Amino acid sequence: MSSQTRPKLLWLQSITCNGNTHSFLNHPDLFSILSHFELIHHPVLDTVFTIEDMLQKNLECDVLILEGSFQEEGFLKNGIEVSSLVKYYASKAKYIVTAGTCATFGGIFKQKDPDAISGFCFDLEEKTIHYETYASKLISLPGCPIHPKWLSYVLLMIVNKKKIEIDNLHRPVELYGYTVHAGCTRNEYFEWKIDAKNFGLKEGCLFYEQGCQGPYTRGSCNKILWNDTSSKTRVGTPCFGCTEPNYPQASLFSTKTNMGIPATMPLGIPRRAYLTLTGVVKSFKIKRFTERLLDYDK
Amino acid sequence: MKKLQIKQLIEKIEGEAELDFTFTEGKIDDVKINFGFYRGIEEILQGKDPRDALVITPRVCGICNHAHLIAAVRAIEDGYTNSGVQVELSSKAKDIREFTLACELIQNHVKWLYMTMLPQLEKYVHQESEENYAIKGTYLSSIITKALAIFAGQWPHSSYAVPGGVTCDPTHLDVMQVQSLLNESITFFEQVMTGMSLDAYLAIDSVSTLHQIEGDFGKLLYLMGSHDMAEIGQSHDRFIVFGESLLSKAGKSIVTSVSNVDSKYIQEEIQKGTVAKAVTYKQKQYEVGPLARGMIAKRPIVKSLHKRYKDSLLTRVFSRIHEVALLLDQAKNILEKLCLDEPSCTLDSNIQLYEFEGTGIVEAARGSLVHKTTVNDGKISQYEIITPTQWNLSHGTKEEQGIAIEAMVGSSSIEEATFIFRAFDVCSVCTTQ
Repeated sequence: MSSQTRPKLLWLQSITCNGNTHSFLNHPDLFSILSHFELIHHPVLDTVFTIEDMLQKNLECDVLILEGSFQEEGFLKNGIEVSSLVKYYASKAKYIVTAGTCATFGGIFKQKDPDAISGFCFDLEEKTIHYETYASKLISLPGCPIHPKWLSYVLLMIVNKKKIEIDNLHRPVELYGYTVHAGCTRNEYFEWKIDAKNFGLKEGCLFYEQGCQGPYTRGSCNKILWNDTSSKTRVGTPCFGCTEPNYPQASLFSTKTNMGIPATMPLGIPRRAYLTLTGVVKSFKIKRFTERLLDYDK
Repeated sequence: MKKLQIKQLIEKIEGEAELDFTFTEGKIDDVKINFGFYRGIEEILQGKDPRDALVITPRVCGICNHAHLIAAVRAIEDGYTNSGVQVELSSKAKDIREFTLACELIQNHVKWLYMTMLPQLEKYVHQESEENYAIKGTYLSSIITKALAIFAGQWPHSSYAVPGGVTCDPTHLDVMQVQSLLNESITFFEQVMTGMSLDAYLAIDSVSTLHQIEGDFGKLLYLMGSHDMAEIGQSHDRFIVFGESLLSKAGKSIVTSVSNVDSKYIQEEIQKGTVAKAVTYKQKQYEVGPLARGMIAKRPIVKSLHKRYKDSLLTRVFSRIHEVALLLDQAKNILEKLCLDEPSCTLDSNIQLYEFEGTGIVEAARGSLVHKTTVNDGKISQYEIITPTQWNLSHGTKEEQGIAIEAMVGSSSIEEATFIFRAFDVCSVCTTQ
């Protein structure tokens, strides 16, 4: 494709740690994906246009990738309000991709000044004043950071002129229709309600004691693995719910419970159904789950 | 005297920086370094559960997040120890933490070589090649972070280090994969970066043998050498390292004499005109980072470069890339002795302490990183983060200019000064947090 026909991609940073930028740089076929686009501006990769060009608001833009939380006033680059850049390029773009939880819902940095800092089109789950203007071209990709393959999926769908199915918060359903729990290697322990006895063990589910939010957090972390190899829960770290609008919640390494039962139920599961099932499986003592995984049958 | 002020926006670093140059009689005699935005991570942490710092603080920085995790966990462990709960890590947990940290440093240094230094140097000396350096840099960085992720789940933003150890419980299947990825990285270093075997590279110990280095690192050295860049960029010739690591012990080095340090003498101050705070050690400016580590470890090749060129641009640039070789070698050694039978975590995850104060220090890619946590009633009442770039990029004191500023002073061109600035591996997000 010639540069005339390739969509123009502009990556714009607002209030961020650059984590989404670096996460995307891990993509194993980064340059194959980028080859479909004309890279107008990017925070680290070499581009024809400089940041000064971008700040002057005279660049073309078909796909805008937004990284970082949004603040209407007070976040400047070279004396220019970044919010004005976001709005300018968002108006020009045919697609707006909010890359990461900060750009989508506000994320961690929102907690510094909750009244002033938010996502671009959502403030937690609420729509911001920008929502109506940009909703028709908005794609939300929450995650702290964004998963490189989730972004490449969206970019390739755009290039291939395919319709991206989204949910009510504009998240692609093919990515966020799953929970983080789906594909977790500890699923057996969840099924039989066996909690992890401590950190640093293969055995046990982290949902009951260690704060894992995987069963009610949307995201395909255990389907499309991180760095093509693993995930938090696979290495025994609880899921912190980093794709959710209310991320980060408090006390991330311990489970909030009601009468010894996790306070938040797995996505879509009625409490009564969960309790009934728990009662049944807990009435069995399964020998295999009382010993170390690799010692059974030895 | 003819004074001239020029403002320059620096991009393609970690974030952006504004440099305000003052020229007198055609030479730079002062630079103001301004960073954008204060995100308030320390304030966000107040009132939170102490362990939440393991999730929140990595978000200071997208490129050195793992170092923040390690500093944060060490601060909690130090606090526990201060309150009488002994924290004795297994050597397995220690080794895995050292390994993943080494991977992050390699990732950082390699991206800096390929995505900052080489393209910027070619522009500066007007010898732009058509080479896609980024594809090389991201190849190695994604391989080595994959090795990291086998233990830590993901990079960036893992939280796999917890008080008492690590959350993973790896098997030989994991270690074999890690080993293979590490070997791939070593092969890249040998065949693409330096054109020589890692062992032969590690034997280089003096300036007179530097010409043996080929590959992309050799190209960088050649371009710098042939454009009179070996001696520019000298600063105060004062170095400090607070963290004990595989790369060096803690200590400070003034000219060439090395002595002990104590982190209690670190002072943080608010600076005018920027949201970045400055730090000093006993009121003096010190450089942190790979060059400091090389000086304090008395690394032969760094000492040899320093003897000839002092703390110049060349010595500084060389020291950072040289660490890639040291880290690859040490990472290999760690994997060879890794003992999987030991416990991953020696502390019960239910232990909760309600009052403690602790300090965690780690050697991050850019130098010493310090976290201090104060916990009252089971909640963080104060959290303090001192990042490496606060040392190197501060404005300085009334008595002396900051490290990077001193290095730029005397230069007669903005292009040269900007390149000297980039050699510090500038990160705006860490500096302002």
